[in-house]
Amino acid sequence: MREFLNELFTKRYKYDFSYILSLSISILLALILGAVIMLILGYNPIEGYGALIKGAFGSPRGIGDTLAKTVTLAMTGLAMAVAAKAGMFNVGGEGQLFLGAMAAAIVGAELTGVSPIIAIPLCLLAAMAAGGAYASIPAVLKVRLGVNEVITTIMMNSIAIYLCVYLSNGPLKTTERGIASGTQAIDPEFKFTRLITSSTLTQSIFIAAVIALVVWYFMSKTAQGYEQRLTGQNYEFSRYSGFKTNRIAIISMIISGAICGLVGMFEVFGIHGRFIESISKEFYFDGMLVAMIMRYNPIGIVVISIFFAALKMGSTAMEMKVGISSELILVVQSIIIFFMAAENGISRILKEKAAIRKAKREYLAAKAGNV
Amino acid sequence: MSNDIAVNMKNITVRFVETLANDDISLSIKKGEIFAIVGENGAGKTTLMNVLAGQIQPTLGSVEILGSTVTTFSPTAAIKAGIGMVHQHFMLIDSFTVAQNIVLGHEPKKPAKFGIFFDNKAAVRFTEDLIREYGLEVPPNARVRDLGVGLQQRVEILKALALGSKVLILDEPTAVLTPSETDELFKIIRKLKEKGHTIIIITHKLYEVMEISDRVAVLRAGKLAGIEETKNLSESKLASMMVGHELSFESIPRDETVKTPVLDIKNLTVSNARGLIAINDLNLTINSGEIVGIAGVEGNGQSELAQAITGLRPALKGSIYLNGIEITKQSPEKIRKLGLAHIPEDRIKTGLSKQASIWENLLVGKQRRREFAWLKLHLRRDKISKYSKEVYNQFDVRGAGIHIPVGSLSGGNMQKIVVGREFSFENTRAYVISQPTRGLDIAAMQFIHKQIINKRNEGAAILLISADLDEIFMLSDRICTLFEGKITAEFDPKTASKEKVGLAMLTHSKEEVCENS
Repeated sequence: MREFLNELFTKRYKYDFSYILSLSISILLALILGAVIMLILGYNPIEGYGALIKGAFGSPRGIGDTLAKTVTLAMTGLAMAVAAKAGMFNVGGEGQLFLGAMAAAIVGAELTGVSPIIAIPLCLLAAMAAGGAYASIPAVLKVRLGVNEVITTIMMNSIAIYLCVYLSNGPLKTTERGIASGTQAIDPEFKFTRLITSSTLTQSIFIAAVIALVVWYFMSKTAQGYEQRLTGQNYEFSRYSGFKTNRIAIISMIISGAICGLVGMFEVFGIHGRFIESISKEFYFDGMLVAMIMRYNPIGIVVISIFFAALKMGSTAMEMKVGISSELILVVQSIIIFFMAAENGISRILKEKAAIRKAKREYLAAKAGNV
Repeated sequence: MSNDIAVNMKNITVRFVETLANDDISLSIKKGEIFAIVGENGAGKTTLMNVLAGQIQPTLGSVEILGSTVTTFSPTAAIKAGIGMVHQHFMLIDSFTVAQNIVLGHEPKKPAKFGIFFDNKAAVRFTEDLIREYGLEVPPNARVRDLGVGLQQRVEILKALALGSKVLILDEPTAVLTPSETDELFKIIRKLKEKGHTIIIITHKLYEVMEISDRVAVLRAGKLAGIEETKNLSESKLASMMVGHELSFESIPRDETVKTPVLDIKNLTVSNARGLIAINDLNLTINSGEIVGIAGVEGNGQSELAQAITGLRPALKGSIYLNGIEITKQSPEKIRKLGLAHIPEDRIKTGLSKQASIWENLLVGKQRRREFAWLKLHLRRDKISKYSKEVYNQFDVRGAGIHIPVGSLSGGNMQKIVVGREFSFENTRAYVISQPTRGLDIAAMQFIHKQIINKRNEGAAILLISADLDEIFMLSDRICTLFEGKITAEFDPKTASKEKVGLAMLTHSKEEVCENS
């Protein structure tokens, strides 16, 4: 802990602080703009935001749902970050998530009757293996044939998603009555317990916390994480330094895919109890945004995930209580992303202007002193 | 203001975000004068000239050009006022002819055809007139890509003259030239002076200043350290003005060393990024305790040679041996393990990660050692910090500690990080060193030279590739000239002359050198 605090407050995080400042300003401006829109539409923004906060944090159930959403956002964000830090842009997390969910659902159904202590870890492994193996394909294609991983991962999303949809409607369709599409249900014994009544928060948050810690440790404290980081920063340098660049690309993608697979398993074991074709509502793409806004910083991703999860969960309450369309929150989110995309340029211009003003002032003061 | 002043700069101050690039500089340059501006890298020479050329608006201060005060700082306004700048990197269009390049921006049009079509004949006529007027011989119809660097530079000068420049700024004009091309350039400069032009020349080569200039301004750390008539100066005086203290130019002691072959290159053929042969059937042996200098004009296969030896570029044919072990098809990692270190020519592109901190950059290559990584996994930050601080202090890096990003250091200090890291592998006995002091100031250069010679004295085998002939002469035990991918001649730096080496850099074989000399 001390080491962590030291790191946070020593000089080397100077630049991060200015980034946090601009992020806060962006969020504030976006919220103000959101309020302006509410006013124009004839609503009271205080009432609107009040309902939002109440919805997200005002009840045990609200807190539970917000935290559950945080888990999904943070996990997918971390998955994106692990690969991106090593220079691999994984856009295929959605497909990896589907395959992970499918693998966990199959193993979970097959192992019905087995003790959960044995079965659940096996399902975890199956989900991670499915996601990781699938993510390794574009990585291998990249290092062997030079195929751009952005394109292959995007295309492989569709392959994975439609394969899973086919399986859950065809060969693996449940025999239970009244279920339009979905695989055989897993043993109810395996399902994660809900931590708060009627909210979607389950025990999966503990697994997620462990994964987040491991990812943070791996990325910032290990030799492998160090090699991946430097490779992502400068590939030429990494090659020159004798790093195993091919292995780094593949490993980073496997870890990224494994985490995505795990998110899929959380959905199966936490909520649905089986694979269904609407298992994910583009969860990974939300996670990508979170990761990019925080520049792939693992701690930042977890923190900002809470904020975005609260916006998402609170917006439903806002719509029901005050009548403001929850789409408004999408506008606010987009404005934040827009500001952060321009952050680099704006802060540079501001810094330069400030420096010039300071120089003039100092120079004139010195001159006045001399005379 | 009297009429014989070409440029008058008053209290010029330029402040960038972190640095004061120019601090209250005032100077005036007379008409028809060759005025040199010298200073170490980062002293503010180029910034000052960019103010004059309208590229940068000064934070404070005023500029007068040929009697009129500059109100707007823009390149267009500067050109109108009579300033012409020849940049270090030429701004020519390779596929255009000389004449087309010269008229670029004010192309003559064919009046008979609505005045919208380019009139090449008029452009050639215009260029020929210009060539005649200034006596700068260039073939007007030749394509620029077919010309040598020296001729390309003339085109740049003509281009500036075509725009009516009365004051010419030459930024490091000799950096890319061979000694004989430099002589030619100096003749041109003197000719322009006779015609009444004012020449401002930015350089850090002191003997050139002594040879060509009338007056010199010395900049140091953004401040004006002094303006002197060249005839009242000596090279050593100038050098001490530049660095702020007396410099000793004493040579670094060289020990007698035992010489056994370490790096052996046999019939090596390598292609470049475009698939053309860059190194052609090259043979070279480098012994322990010896520095072999590769002299050559850039682009004759130097980069490809270094990359092939270090495993970054595959060899088409031939083999490379390190201590008798073939390393031709090995990975960079394996080659490093076998005892070869590499200082790359481009420290920012290849040698460092700018965003990463100093310690992260120093750790590279040692990150899996037991002393730095527990179970080859958990990085032991205390041990790493200790080691990084040692290298940091030993190589006299000037910065704010080992935790700041390398990108915030100056070029010289960045290079010290690269050299410090590459020289800290205990079992490494062979080094490929490319452009070790490119863009560095004198103090940093001397420091790195000393480190290189120390390594040689310890018995290392060193291949030195440099575009700086002085550096090659100063450090090498043997000099090989590289031309179009082949070693064309070998010299002993104690007995060879720079002219002879310079000639060998431009010719195919030893025989030709002999015939010409």
